[in-house]
Amino acid sequence: MSRIEFRDVRHAYPPPPGQAPVYALKEVSQVWEDGGAYALLGPSGCGKTTLLNIISGLLTPSEGSIRFDERDVTGLPTSERQIAQVFQFPVVYDTMSVFDNLAFPLRNRGMPESRVSQRVTEIAEMLDLSERLGQRASGLTADGKQKISLGRGLVREDVNAILFDEPLTVIDPHLKWQLRSKLKELHQQIGVTMIYVTHDQVEALTFADKVVVMHDGGVVQVGSPVELFNRPRHTFVGYFIGSPGMNILPCSLDRGQPVFANNLLSSGYPVDTDLSGKLEIGIRPEFIRFSDDGIAVEIQKVEDLGRYQVVTVRHESSQIKMLVGEDQAIPSEDPKISFDPDNLRIYCDDWVVESAHA
Amino acid sequence: MNKKWILPTLYILFLMLPIYGLLSMSFKTTNEILGGFSFFPQQFTLANYTKIFTDPTWYNGYINSLIYVCINTLISVSVALPAAYAFSRYRFLGDKHLFFWLLTNRMAPPAVFALPFFQLYSAIELFDTHLAVALAHCLFNIPLAVWILEGFMSGIPKELDETAYLDGYSFPRFFIRIFIPTIAAGIGVAAFFCFMYSWVELLLAKTLTSVDAKPIAATMTRTASTSGYELGLLAAAGSLTIIPGAIVIYFVRNYIAKGFALGRV
Repeated sequence: MSRIEFRDVRHAYPPPPGQAPVYALKEVSQVWEDGGAYALLGPSGCGKTTLLNIISGLLTPSEGSIRFDERDVTGLPTSERQIAQVFQFPVVYDTMSVFDNLAFPLRNRGMPESRVSQRVTEIAEMLDLSERLGQRASGLTADGKQKISLGRGLVREDVNAILFDEPLTVIDPHLKWQLRSKLKELHQQIGVTMIYVTHDQVEALTFADKVVVMHDGGVVQVGSPVELFNRPRHTFVGYFIGSPGMNILPCSLDRGQPVFANNLLSSGYPVDTDLSGKLEIGIRPEFIRFSDDGIAVEIQKVEDLGRYQVVTVRHESSQIKMLVGEDQAIPSEDPKISFDPDNLRIYCDDWVVESAHA
Repeated sequence: MNKKWILPTLYILFLMLPIYGLLSMSFKTTNEILGGFSFFPQQFTLANYTKIFTDPTWYNGYINSLIYVCINTLISVSVALPAAYAFSRYRFLGDKHLFFWLLTNRMAPPAVFALPFFQLYSAIELFDTHLAVALAHCLFNIPLAVWILEGFMSGIPKELDETAYLDGYSFPRFFIRIFIPTIAAGIGVAAFFCFMYSWVELLLAKTLTSVDAKPIAATMTRTASTSGYELGLLAAAGSLTIIPGAIVIYFVRNYIAKGFALGRV
């Protein structure tokens, strides 16, 4: 087990001849503490898988270095890095039985056979594969095969980290919950670093202590689920996390306070007035209320989701989503809304603007 | 009444008729064949087969053919395996053009190459050896094998390779222990087609041999001997040439369909 560090890692896949390389990963410096449960969250194509493959050594980064406990492993082949990785689609060795599949990584490293069978039995028990140990792996269903893939990732105890690349995509929803909590439980038991790639925020927020949000080849924020929700550092984080996502609205500044559509708002903290760039305010739907005075809006749509309602309102050209409790009335005439100043963030060119006096 | 079976039955009869003709002729004497048409042998005889199995000029033809066909299949498949792996897994400058160019090798009739091959193999003293024919047949069998194997390999996800590295295998061990067993079906199909094409190819085989490595097909062209046409003998030899192909196709019958589904056969 070790602490994994990325130093100024960039990666570009080989471009078609005659074209400039496009960086799939732009300048990532990041430390993965030993024993942490991380989730790597981001939309498809943002560089998550590239980052994983660099850790496991399937890809060598174009620039920068990776260190395991201060040891530079950038040039080390995959087989010597002691990393387990589970892919999105099941990979099993079709020619072997389920037992042999699970035992394979252990036998390759010369573990005595008695220990191998003990370990395999333990893991099989955990994944409900005990009854199938003798079967040929090629006859299993997709989720059975994926369980083998998971098992093969978990079976080794000496790994530096276990990487999961959207491992539960092919698994039934009810089993998904079960397996995810098993993974979490296992993490607490064995304390090995786990990095879990997903584009599903619920998965990321329930699995991880630390969520790393990626956008367009870069890491935009690292934090606990609560931090990501309350203090998104980038408009993308605000928009991507939360359901529905944060409202991002154009604004201007007046004496350190934001102005949205000719309404002077209070943001709870003053900012420098000489900011240049695209200015926006971000406000989560949870922190918008109907009020007697405020911004006049026109109600477009009300979706009842049971415990609360999602109300879509419009002010001039801006669409705003807000959450209203099921017991709260929606005003029928002249609706006006106001924003909670403590939860209003100001963004300049998509990055959050911190207080001028902090 | 359901009459769906009539058309296929007629078609199969139409296909089987020449084979039946050949088979029935092989049990006739040459005189009976020349005498007139009969559907069943009037004087049933095994003499034709006895002659083939006892006369070295005949049975050596089969042995020679089998030797160079097997050598060729072995070379073609073992060379095509790494090549197909490269085409299926790596992107390199001009990979698609090269892959297509391989196929174009199959478009030229073998006759085009007969003369240069004859000169070349005579010069390096390979003329009239099994190896000469086996190597000559690689010209069209390697591209074919690469083409078939690439299809099968591309059906195996790249993650299998990556998982094996993660599990601690080096590339050569992975390739031999994991990858080859996984695409065994593809190898079977590729080997079958190499075998077939090499077995039926006559022109190069005949040009590059004289005595020691003479293939059966070349022997069969010399049926007009001092004792006249030996049509019964020819029919028996012809019937026997069908057998090796039938045996090989029996083993790969289930995989051929998969190969067709991949569009690679």
